[in-house]
Amino acid sequence: MGFGLISPDDWKTELNAADLDRLLAGIANGDSQSLAALYHSTSAAIYAFALSVLKNAQDAEDVLHDCYLNIHSAASGYRPLGKPMAWILTITRNLCLLKLRERGKRADIPVEDWESYLESRDTVTPEDRLILRACMNHLSDEERQIVVLHAVAGFKHREIADLTGLSLTGVLSKYSRALKKLKQYMEQEGTL
Amino acid sequence: MNTAETDQKLKEAFSHAVPDVLNLVLSDCQKQKGSDMKMKDSGKKSLRIRQLAGIAAAFVLLIGGTAGFQFYQANYKVASTVSLDVNPSIEIMVNKKERVIEVNAKNQDAQAVIGDMDFEGSSLDVTLNALIGSMLRNGYLNEIANSILISVDNQDPVKSAELQTRLADEINSLLQSNSFNGAVLSQSISTDTHLKELADSYGITLGKTQLIQQIIAQNAFYSFEDLVPLSINELNLLSESGNLNLNNVNSLGTASDKAYIGEESAWNIALTHAGAEESDLTKQRIELDYENGLMIYELEFNCLGFEYDYEIDAVSGMILKQEKDQDDDYIPANAENAPAAETQDPAAGTGQQPAQTQQDPPAQTQDPPAQTEQPPAQTQDLPSSTQQPSYGGWHHNEHNGHHRNLHHSASYCNCIGESAARGIAFTHACISEGSVYDYKWELDEDDGLWFYEMEFKCDGYEYDYEIDAATGSIVKSEKDYDD
Repeated sequence: MGFGLISPDDWKTELNAADLDRLLAGIANGDSQSLAALYHSTSAAIYAFALSVLKNAQDAEDVLHDCYLNIHSAASGYRPLGKPMAWILTITRNLCLLKLRERGKRADIPVEDWESYLESRDTVTPEDRLILRACMNHLSDEERQIVVLHAVAGFKHREIADLTGLSLTGVLSKYSRALKKLKQYMEQEGTL
Repeated sequence: MNTAETDQKLKEAFSHAVPDVLNLVLSDCQKQKGSDMKMKDSGKKSLRIRQLAGIAAAFVLLIGGTAGFQFYQANYKVASTVSLDVNPSIEIMVNKKERVIEVNAKNQDAQAVIGDMDFEGSSLDVTLNALIGSMLRNGYLNEIANSILISVDNQDPVKSAELQTRLADEINSLLQSNSFNGAVLSQSISTDTHLKELADSYGITLGKTQLIQQIIAQNAFYSFEDLVPLSINELNLLSESGNLNLNNVNSLGTASDKAYIGEESAWNIALTHAGAEESDLTKQRIELDYENGLMIYELEFNCLGFEYDYEIDAVSGMILKQEKDQDDDYIPANAENAPAAETQDPAAGTGQQPAQTQQDPPAQTQDPPAQTEQPPAQTQDLPSSTQQPSYGGWHHNEHNGHHRNLHHSASYCNCIGESAARGIAFTHACISEGSVYDYKWELDEDDGLWFYEMEFKCDGYEYDYEIDAATGSIVKSEKDYDD
């Protein structure tokens, strides 16, 4: 992704693995500043992934909250292997699975749920809404999770394969199919 | 709109949409810290309280033919639940006086352990003694699977903690036999409805459920389902090897790894395969892990400008994954070393080194019955009917007929071997082995079938293959410009 596209705000929160490792070490020592910093740089990825799995704004928000509590309590056991995001997203994934089990498989969630939530957020621009709708409504579950992990969490395709248990080639083909669909939708809606 | 722009738009959209729960998180973390502190002190005076309660209960008995309710409270109401997990999982409910109300077998192995013993009315001590004795006799506890988990569930955390410590010590002394030393994990259960639902849905004890949850909280690479079939010894090994600090779990003794080849042998296999000398290693790490239903050693090391990544089956010693990458941080001790390492690469990467035999399935030497139908490894496109993986023909544990071998049945033992798979891929790609570089492979499981996943580069192209490990047929092949 090109540097010119990153807004100044995003730039501040683009932390590399070593930075995140340091923050996790800080959290293990009980430093709440580190936790706040980690939150700012990772909450979008965690929330996006949780929403893409759960398709329900309230559940995704619960997972976001619980995920940081888990990170807080488990940080002392975290071993810095240069893959902090994989660790964090695996916690997120497990919380999502628990959530799904807790409430029974919910294939029939009203789409309005997250859409009406987005309406209430004034930080969300009409263009944001469009691409989120494309992502949530026009991709399969797997495609959506892959796209989110790549675009929002910054995972390489190989890492996505590791995390999801899909093969690398599967990830690559699903990713390119998903992007094609997104572009198609955006073009149809006339923003391009 | 190009790919990067789409990615970026999506990223922005989600960062605008994320709700702000930071303050709530911070305050809840503060609370979490507080409750951690509270958990730590479980005083010694508990013993006396319990004894007094026992005496009081006895008084009720003496005085009380009329006091029916109190009689019920003292005798038939479950005061504590003690669960034992080895692989057999047993739940024992006792009343206030620690007399057994009911013993439940949570799985088939547990039924074998309990047999036709009737414990109702016996003391908890006698019951535990009999159950541990039966587990030893039936071979569920032995020198290669020596770990037991005791979980105590009592409404009163002080009583729970006291009972937990006392039982752990008792069982530990029961297990220090001539032939082996036991390893005892003990914990108090903090029951919540969620834990109970999870335990019920998997048919395992609350104790094992809580232990698995603790392990997942520490190592998020595991999922709950993955760990359910593991024995306590295997869970104990995972937590020891990963240096996991399990909250509220006390551990006595060391889990046995005698069922496995051991860390030293794992190092030997990897170093021989890589053609590396131990003295040249700059970074090294080994960990026992659980993946695709197998216990594996994961090894990582840096040596002379390369980073290596191996996965080795902890039971058979077979290499399941091999990766070799340039070590970007490597600074050669003297300038001559670097080019030397460079020129070695293609040969080393494609397995030309002395330890070639390590790549073949170990079954060829260890499991004769499964081998008789093994076709020549190099043949392609064999009919899959002759190639069915043989399940269960792979007993690592001759001491213990009852031990569940499910996750070690190693269905890959009938696979064609990495060198054959490599040959198939290279032939299909019409390239010669000598010109290949950056070669990586992994034996991976998907829905019970095993595949070789291979990546390599040659002549400016990047190749990606998936080969059915049983039949040698090519499942996927991709060729791309190497960018």
